[in-house]
Parts: sequence; C-alpha cells; structure tokens
Amino acid sequence: MIRQSRAFDAIVVGSGISGGWAAKELCERGLNTLVLEAGGPIEAMDFVEHVPPYEMRFRGWGNRLELKRDQPIQRHCYACDEMSHKFFVNDHDNPYTTPEKTPFHWFRGRQVGGRSIIWNRQVYRWSDLDFEANARDGHGNDWPIRYSDIAPWYGHVERFIGVSGAKEGLSQLPDGDFLPPMEMTVVEEQARNKVLRAFDGKRVMTIGRTAVLTQNHNGRLACHYCGPCHRGCATHSYFNSIGSTLPAAAKTGKLTLRPHSVVAEVVFDPARRRARGVRVIDAQTFAETEFEARVVFLCASAIESTRILLNSRAVGSPDGLGNSTGLLGRYVMDHHFGSGASGFMPGFTNKRTIGERPNGIYIARFRNIEEPWRDFLRGYGIQGGSGRAGWTRGTSMPGYGTEFKRTLIEDLGGWAFSLIPYGETLPYRDNRVTLDSQVKDKWGIPAARIEVRWGENEREMEKDMMVTAGEILEASGCKDVRAYLSTNPPGHCVHEMGGARMGRTPEEGVLNEWNQVWDAPNVFVTDGACMASSACQNPSITYMALTARAAARAVQELKRREL
Amino acid sequence: MGRSFPAGARGPCSESGPVGMPGWAIANGIKGGFLERRGFLLALGVAAALPFAPRVTQEIWRRVSESPPPDGLTEPYFNIVSALADTILPPTDTPGASDAGVPAWISVVVADYYASSERTALLDGLDSIDALAKRTEGLPFPELTVTGRERVVAVLERPNAYERFVLRLERSQHKPFWGTAGLLARRARAYAQMKTLIVHGYFTSEIVQRTVLLTEQMPRRFEGDAEILTVGLDEAA
Repeated sequence: MIRQSRAFDAIVVGSGISGGWAAKELCERGLNTLVLEAGGPIEAMDFVEHVPPYEMRFRGWGNRLELKRDQPIQRHCYACDEMSHKFFVNDHDNPYTTPEKTPFHWFRGRQVGGRSIIWNRQVYRWSDLDFEANARDGHGNDWPIRYSDIAPWYGHVERFIGVSGAKEGLSQLPDGDFLPPMEMTVVEEQARNKVLRAFDGKRVMTIGRTAVLTQNHNGRLACHYCGPCHRGCATHSYFNSIGSTLPAAAKTGKLTLRPHSVVAEVVFDPARRRARGVRVIDAQTFAETEFEARVVFLCASAIESTRILLNSRAVGSPDGLGNSTGLLGRYVMDHHFGSGASGFMPGFTNKRTIGERPNGIYIARFRNIEEPWRDFLRGYGIQGGSGRAGWTRGTSMPGYGTEFKRTLIEDLGGWAFSLIPYGETLPYRDNRVTLDSQVKDKWGIPAARIEVRWGENEREMEKDMMVTAGEILEASGCKDVRAYLSTNPPGHCVHEMGGARMGRTPEEGVLNEWNQVWDAPNVFVTDGACMASSACQNPSITYMALTARAAARAVQELKRREL
Repeated sequence: MGRSFPAGARGPCSESGPVGMPGWAIANGIKGGFLERRGFLLALGVAAALPFAPRVTQEIWRRVSESPPPDGLTEPYFNIVSALADTILPPTDTPGASDAGVPAWISVVVADYYASSERTALLDGLDSIDALAKRTEGLPFPELTVTGRERVVAVLERPNAYERFVLRLERSQHKPFWGTAGLLARRARAYAQMKTLIVHGYFTSEIVQRTVLLTEQMPRRFEGDAEILTVGLDEAA
C-alpha cells in the first residue's frame, strides 16, 4: 500500500453527472480536488454519433454475439448499441449477483464522464408533492428537505447546463430557467390541445424538458439534431460532465483527475470519527494507494457508492461506514415502466419532420394530485413521441418489387404515436443492496448483491398506466390504439436510487439533510444513493442540485473548521 | 434514463438497440433554417477536425462481396439471396438491392451476427425457397426469369395460417422454435428474415443514403411541422 504524500482538500469518487458537479463546485470554491474515476479517459474523438450506418459492420444492430459474450447485462440497455457499447462495462469484470428469479439490470458506465455520456437527458424538477410524499402516506421516512431548500440549486444547475423546455405553471412539475423549447410535431400539437380539452386541463402534454441546447450556451454549441446522443456529442450540445462541469473545474487549476482508479473503501479514522481518505486500486496495475483529504464526496452511482460504504469499516459500524443503525443498503428503488400504448394519427400526410429531435413529449403526473386515486399511491409521468416510420416499415410491410420500393422511398408512411409511462416506486425496506460473500470483481472487491422487487402498489399502477396511455392516445385522435401491459425488471429504467437515504435523524437515514454521513460528517453522498423516495420524474437534475448544495455546505463547514 | 421517443426498427433476433434511420430525408420539401453563422462554422469545424470511426465505403463492401467471410454465404446461397434481394428491391431509376451491396452485407450478417444454429436454420430456409421455385417453376430460384421469381415471391408473401401463428409466437418470445414445429415454418421464417435484412441493408447502404434518401448527418434544426412539397421530388430528379 502506497500512501499518497500530497493531501487534497477534497476527493470526489466518480466523474459522471454527480461527480462532475462536485468537482466543479468544490474547485470553484477554492478546494484542491482529486477526482477518482474507475474507468479510462475519454476524448472527443471517442464520440461516434456521426458514424453513418453503412460504416457499421452490422448497420447499427450491434455485434450481437460479442455483446452476448462480454456484456450480457449491459446489452439490454437501449443505449448500448453497435457504436456506444464501449461506454458500458464488461459484465465479467464487473459482476453483481441477485437472488434466483429476482432479476435486476444494473447498467454501468466506467469512463471519465461516467453515464453522463449515455444518459437520456430528461430533466424535471421535483415539487413538494414529492418531498412530502413519504410523510403523507407513511411509506419510507420523511425527507429532511423541502422544495424551497433545493429550488435555488435547481436554478443554479439549469442555468449552467442549459435545459430546454416550456413553462406550464404546474405545481407538481415546477417550471425552471429554460432555454427555448424544442418544437412539438404537428400531431403532438393537435394531441396536446385535444387532451387538454378531453381531461379538463388536468392532463398536460408538454415538450420534454431536456439538457440539450436549443441555442449556444456557456461556450457550448446548440444541438445540430443528428440523433444518437448516447454515442457522445462532438459539440457538447447535450450536458455531460466531459464537456461542461469537468472543464469548469479544470479551469480553476485546482482539479486533479485520476482515471483507472477503482475506489475500494473509505478509510475511517476512529480517533477523529472522520474519514481520512480512500483506498484506491489501480485498474491497470492493481497497485494500491491511499489518498487523503479533508472531505470525501461519493458520486459513483447509487449502488456503487452504497457498495463502497458497505465495504468500508468503521468503529461501531462493522457492516459498513454509516451503517450504525442498519439502514445502509436498504430502500433501493427504480422507476417501473414497460406498459404503455401506441397508435396511428390519421391525416397530416403532407407533413413531416426535419432533423432528429433528441427529445419527446412529456405528460405531467395527474394521479393523486388533488384527489386520492383509489387503486394506488403516488403517480407516474408519461413520455413519448410521434413520427413517420419511413422505410423502416418495409421490413414488415407486405409487398415486393418496383411499387413496393417506390412506396418506401416516396411515402413516409403514417404518423405513429407512442406513450410510455414511468411510475414512482415506493421505498421498501427489503429492497436492498448487500455485499456478496462469494463473488468479487476483477479488483478483488466484493460484488454487490442486489435484491429489489416490485410491490403491489407498482403492479396496480402499471395497469392504470396502460389504460390511461391508451385513453390519452384515443382522446388525441389516434386510431388503431394498442395498449399493452408489461413490466421491466428493476434497474432497467437506469433510475436506480436509494441505499443511503437522507433522514432527519441517524435513526431515519444514513445521511443528514446536507448529504453528510451521520457517522462520518466529512463524507458526502450526493448521487442517487441519497434518495429517500423516487418520485416519478427522471432524477438526474435532483442529484446535480443536491450535489451543488452539499458542496457549498462542505466548503462552509471547512471554513468554520467543523469538519 | 428511460427512452423517450419511439423505437425504430430492430434487427432480426436482436434485443440490442436499433439504428432506425429516418425515412424522411427524401429530396423534397427541405426548407431552410440555419444556426447563426459563427455557431455553424464552429460546428462544421469541430465535425471536420474529428477523426471519427474509420471509413468503410461502398468499395469495401464490394471487396467483402468478392472475398466473403469464412462462414458467410457460399456461392449458391449468395445467388439465391441476390435474386431474392433484386426481386424485392429491383433496380429502377434508383439502385437495386445488388447495386447497393445488400447480398454482401447479408453474407457478413450470416457469418458473424447469427449463431451457428440460427445460420443453419436460415440456410435451410433458403433451400426450401429454392425447392419451392423448382417445384412450381421448374428451375432453381436464381435461374428464373424476373416474372418467374415474382411468382415465387408472391407465394412467399402469403404464409399460411400455421406459419403466421408460429412467426407471431416467435416474435413475441424473441426466439425461434426448434424441432418439427419450427421446421414446418422454416421457409416462411427465412423469407421474413431475408426481407428484413434486404430492406434494412438496402436503406442503410451508402449509395442509398447518399443518393436516394439524401440523409443529412447534421440537419442543424428540428422542424415538427414541415411541408412535403411533392413537386420537389420531380424537380430534384
């Protein structure tokens, strides 16, 4: 074990969405910050969004046999395609376990930038409907914060990353500091108006709020609408840490970024009851180094940060740092989805879209807003979009020969419209992450054992999600509407959260209201692990806002010598 | 990270992501709409400066056709696939499937995308298509006239009730049936697979993307309510 001679002010574990924000905020506030990333460096030339299909061996379908062999879990993610699979981990090097018949999809990106390269970029503020939900219905613990605590930080994040969207004035989906919205398609515009009328203004279809630039912003270029954002972006037009937060951190001269650094544990100093630093295994040489700092930010993703804490030993917490009350690893959540509906909008045959819009529409939550819904607690938001199938319909369309070919070239086909609801999952104590006693990863670190199941509330909600998606499409004027009931395994939504939840007291949470570990206050956990409930909105902007808020607090406490 | 817009076409037997290239980029009705000049120049500069993935041109696909991969289509199967591809997407005022290198690409798929059991099933299905041609037209499929091929394809386009049932079940379960149940549907399955491969291979080929669909890599704008100016197609031609 080598002990790093230079002590840093702060260590950030992870360089993705949360880690990048921690790095930016801590550096800009004057701390010498070391960012540890388990994966390798990524350069702009690694981005592959402009590779045309004819330059791909399998024309975009991916090297199926290789994916099955090396990435049997990762390949299930929609973003893990022929060109972008390199931004996902090798499943054999990075194993995890689940109980029999309890699948969980853990999609992971280990590289500088983490999953901020491959994320879907949808960003929605939470409201007090969400922060008060646990207290209201008694599931989970009461959040130690409310919307007013985080609202300024949402604005801080939005102004930096650039979020395009339309203001709607909805209490359950607060407006933000938006760049101009992207256009709806002509059929989405019709659907919005018809659905508003059909449901007395209670079902509001708006353009997706997305961290993609509709105009040049903070030195980054507006989107050029090429389409496959999950393969990277040469112009950094969507938010990722490589193009935004990490350069901002580097600009201060206080950032040290160390790739290939697998963090095995937080090293605890029992005398001071504080973390001393972290133990790192070099991903390439397997050499071990201990890095020291005054504060440690865990931003490695919900399950990875939880795993690091579980693998860390502290006095009074033999089963993991921050686990003195036995909550660490519990209350893991993801959004459940899989049900939905699709249909065809008649007419508009003289209309088309130009450009690949990296965004869809969003229907704000409408269940359990004013009146309680009879079948389940909480609610769901609906994402979707419309477009003309073009030539792709030819694979299943009857016909052959000259006329068949002419039709596929000259006629774009009908307007298809699909809706996919995303539902809130209740926090269940038994949905948890532990360390597997047998399986270790390539670096000898115990693998995570993930045990997460959907509950009755989620199953009831799925039925309603199917029904309302269908009725919204019918109300919008669609024909041939097909609604379907299905559920993906937990994790599949890539919104995994919880495991080290925030709480008002050490008995209620692993973290306090500032994301500090109750048992080691100089350790901050600001990624998805900190979440005490899941709401139904895509969660990344909440991680970013909480991270910025926690970083400000950390610097404040360091100045007051409280850490 | 849930996906927020409709999925495009999926590969046969594939659960991985689609490429789903748009079919709208035809030579009509494209209106203006540009970034402000500095932004546009910057975008172009960045795009041009980056060494993206190595270019695989049509020329390379032609070479693939001349030196097929070891597990790819042998000459008799290549001939069946070529004949089938050009019957489904014949040369007209735009390139045909063979002109676009579709059989060569299918050979790559057969060699490296399918597992050996799937490859065997597909080739078996091609044999049964050839057998249908011999039985109904008296000649192997590649040796038929265009009209003869079209008569065979017309039969293949109408799977019987049993075949439709099996294919529907296979699609919903994302796996083919083996044994007698699968064997009886092998011709229909092979045709459905081939049609998917032919259509996908054709419209994602370089010549079609560049000269027929006129796909723009960086459209630089999104319009959700653009007019289709049908007169534009004739003018462009």
